[in-house]
Amino acid sequence: MGGPATLVITPPIGRSATGASLANKVQSHLETLERRYSRYLTDSLVSTINRRAGSGDFTHLDPESETLLEIADQLWRSSGGLFDITSGVLRKAWRFEAANAPVDLSQLEALKKQVGWDKVKRTGEGVYLPVKGMEIDLGGLAKEYAADCAVRLLRDHGVTSALIELAGDVATIGSQPSGRPWRVGIRAPQGGDPVGGIALSNAAAATSGNYARTLQFEGRTYGHLLNPLTGWPVEGPTSVTVIGENCLSAGAVTTIACLQSPKAAMAWLSEAGLPWLMIGQDAGYSGPLASKLGLSPP
Amino acid sequence: MNPLNTSSAFLRSLTRTLATLPAYQAGAVLADAPPAFTEVGVRYSHYSEDDIDASSVIFGATSRYDIDITQLWIEAPVGASWSVALDVQNDYQTGASPWFVGTDQSGEPGVIMSGASIQDNRVEVGVATRYFWADGNAGLNVSHSDEDDYEALSVGFDASWNSASNTRTWTTSVSSSHDKVNPSQGVIPVFVTNEELDTQSGYFGVSQILSRSAIVRVGLNYTYSDGYLSDPYKLNDQRPQSHERIALSAGYRHFLIDANASVQFDYRYYADSWGVDSHTVELGWAQHYERSTLTPFFRYYSQREADFYQVIADLSESHFADDYRLSSYGAVTLGARWAINLGDWTIELEGERYWSDADWGLYDGDSAPALVDFWRGTVAIIWRFD
Repeated sequence: MGGPATLVITPPIGRSATGASLANKVQSHLETLERRYSRYLTDSLVSTINRRAGSGDFTHLDPESETLLEIADQLWRSSGGLFDITSGVLRKAWRFEAANAPVDLSQLEALKKQVGWDKVKRTGEGVYLPVKGMEIDLGGLAKEYAADCAVRLLRDHGVTSALIELAGDVATIGSQPSGRPWRVGIRAPQGGDPVGGIALSNAAAATSGNYARTLQFEGRTYGHLLNPLTGWPVEGPTSVTVIGENCLSAGAVTTIACLQSPKAAMAWLSEAGLPWLMIGQDAGYSGPLASKLGLSPP
Repeated sequence: MNPLNTSSAFLRSLTRTLATLPAYQAGAVLADAPPAFTEVGVRYSHYSEDDIDASSVIFGATSRYDIDITQLWIEAPVGASWSVALDVQNDYQTGASPWFVGTDQSGEPGVIMSGASIQDNRVEVGVATRYFWADGNAGLNVSHSDEDDYEALSVGFDASWNSASNTRTWTTSVSSSHDKVNPSQGVIPVFVTNEELDTQSGYFGVSQILSRSAIVRVGLNYTYSDGYLSDPYKLNDQRPQSHERIALSAGYRHFLIDANASVQFDYRYYADSWGVDSHTVELGWAQHYERSTLTPFFRYYSQREADFYQVIADLSESHFADDYRLSSYGAVTLGARWAINLGDWTIELEGERYWSDADWGLYDGDSAPALVDFWRGTVAIIWRFD
């Protein structure tokens, strides 16, 4: 799914499963999800949906993928259209993935016509992208969902102590074998030592940031998160971390926060009611976790 | 922190949607085919028929059958795509059964019982292998059943596969059995030796996921038997040499997210070449708890009598029988299943109570004097390990 993964498992007592056999099961399940939801694999469900854009052919959905698209719909509605799984094609204009590639804004207006979750047709037949070139990208959901699936799979095998980290999103089962909660560091946008460590026990933490991939354009630095309504990079918080019951919920809250202005993001995070930490463009900290970790504006 | 307790309408709504995915459901298990575990299980059932009403008995004991059923099985994965299974079952039955129906001094029909002399032990051994591929699986099984007076050998093949959208599953099976009947001579005289029976059966069904919370299943079964089909332990029992049966079954499951429960509805229609047809309706409520599922259920059954059934058999006909199982009647079953998950171990408990009465049926017919009521209790312990 395009990122590193860490798995720490304490094998359950009185069970035949070993840490290695459990890790294999998790890996196998993650690979199954990747085969379904990766946009990089040509025969994945997502690639099939994208390939059929504009062709008139619907793609049948099973309950799991139907539910993930339903969640995408909820996130789109709740964010006023900012969270949009069809916005990925805008990358063709901004080219964050290619180092030193020039920004090509001449395509932007044409690409914007291929963006819009409200254009997507979902019926009993399945899903259909009506504009040729339109694409969906479940990357913003599938990784968090995969972490939650790994938690579920390990719990089903009797595991009572584990930590799963998929490219920065963390889900935990129970506490460490010592009985202490799992401690998870929050990465500093500028690199170096983590800004602080949060304690997690039977909880998940998700972080979204606008700092990992950036580009310079007309003398300004832009982060990789794009506003599907304008086609331009958002000028939101540098990083937001949220603790939730599961990774997908925490990830949804943090992703939508990062797509908004810092002020709107703070209002959104406060309303969600989950513990959060926001690092602003001025490297200032805010949120309940900032107070808890003793972080203050530099 | 439970997002449902937050004031955020967004999180409450999101949590309700997530609850339809197995990853966020208590008690659900992620699909993990082919089998990732070796499974060893033992199941014991006790079946006990109520005593027959003394006023219905002309002669003989009033006690009826008791059956103890013990089953042991093991299923293990072999490589990445195969599994093998061994299943051994032992049935021990004892008691009395109706021998024939006659008339008492007042001219009322009554039962002459066999006497509490019948003891029989049946052992069935089955082996099976199954192959799994990405969209389905197929299995081959062979079983052999042996008891004092009956021997059966059967072979079966089944397959199921999923549609490309993963929302529809097709299932088919065929089986063939060859039985040898050699009734033992006991207290009641038996006039049959060395009879045989061949049976072929086929099934085709489909289950369709209708939505994230609903699934429906329909299936059609056809069975043809040719050979000795009478009951050698009944005096007045001469049935046709062939028996065609067809059964249409349907089921519906609806998961109720807020209640963490599912409603289960099953229906079966059966008809055969002997003139019997029947309806079975079952309603269940599966309540899921963190470590267990409790399913109380109610079943109603009604059947129409066989063309050659009479309360007192007419021996002048070419086919005749006074077996209460071929009469018109209705039956009600109340029961509950409780599956408890204890990590690698699962305990299953089930109890049911069955009552039958000629007046409860949908079809007309004279009341058989030997209709049965029974209870059945089952306990199973299953161990799954890597």
